[in-house]
Amino acid sequence: MEQHFSYDLAKDAGQEVAFLSGTIDSQAEPSFGELQKQVSGPSLILDFSDVGRINSMGIALILRCLKHLTRERDLQVQIRGVSQINGMLFKMSGIFLMAKEVPTRKT
Amino acid sequence: MMHTNQHEAATMIFIGPTGGMKPDLNGLFPDSSDTLVRQVCCSADKPALIEEVVALIGDEDDPHALLAQKAALMVDEMLENALYAAPRTADGTALFPQREPRSLLPDERITVRYRYDDSHLFLEVRDSWGSLTQGQVFSHLAVNTQEAEPDPDRTGRGLFFMWRLFDHLYVRIYPGKETVVGGSLLLQPVAR
Repeated sequence: MEQHFSYDLAKDAGQEVAFLSGTIDSQAEPSFGELQKQVSGPSLILDFSDVGRINSMGIALILRCLKHLTRERDLQVQIRGVSQINGMLFKMSGIFLMAKEVPTRKT
Repeated sequence: MMHTNQHEAATMIFIGPTGGMKPDLNGLFPDSSDTLVRQVCCSADKPALIEEVVALIGDEDDPHALLAQKAALMVDEMLENALYAAPRTADGTALFPQREPRSLLPDERITVRYRYDDSHLFLEVRDSWGSLTQGQVFSHLAVNTQEAEPDPDRTGRGLFFMWRLFDHLYVRIYPGKETVVGGSLLLQPVAR
């Protein structure tokens, strides 16, 4: 069953973390817009642990979000919980050039 | 290997190792009684089609799970192209915005063919527009390969992903009539 995109913005050990889940495609655009507005900074972790498929439109949304947060708002953004296939797409599209990957925190 | 072959009004573009197979449609996607063929009626058909392909592969171990994830992405990209990138006016303007659900026009056809033989998944999507050009194919692949600066608005990223993830990729274009995009994915051990 395809899961629509959603996110939960929370504090994790004092660090602002956006827990993303579901499929990231063109349908996720409004949610990414909301997420960008809600982030308060100065740093953010995007957690992809519960994200399923990301297509090329989803990659464009992530790049747009990273560009806005890192270049226009000067936030430090890090990424964690990326699956093998999504990691391949992130490498191919240059996402890791805009946000460093950090290990997922063990609970 | 990159191979182009003019046949009447069609252009055939094949990228990948031939491995002894003939780089034409029958060589690249050998006809078989277990090939599954689906007609797409609307954009809402996409999730069920993806689930069908994923279920055929299964997720019994890591290699199968990775193959299923790649297959899901490829079906997604190929159908998005057929549903939203292919339909264009004579001056090249896209007819349908990407985020809006749509049904096919009365004379429009999108056909999905796929087959899984426990080691290879063959996938193919054909649309009845024939609007993609040979120049666009090469341009999309070149720009996504050469440009180091990540650009959200870069076009052709979906085709680029297909080229990088498929073991071979082929595109056959009958201008104004049909575009066929296909490829195969091999079940491979997962690197740790």
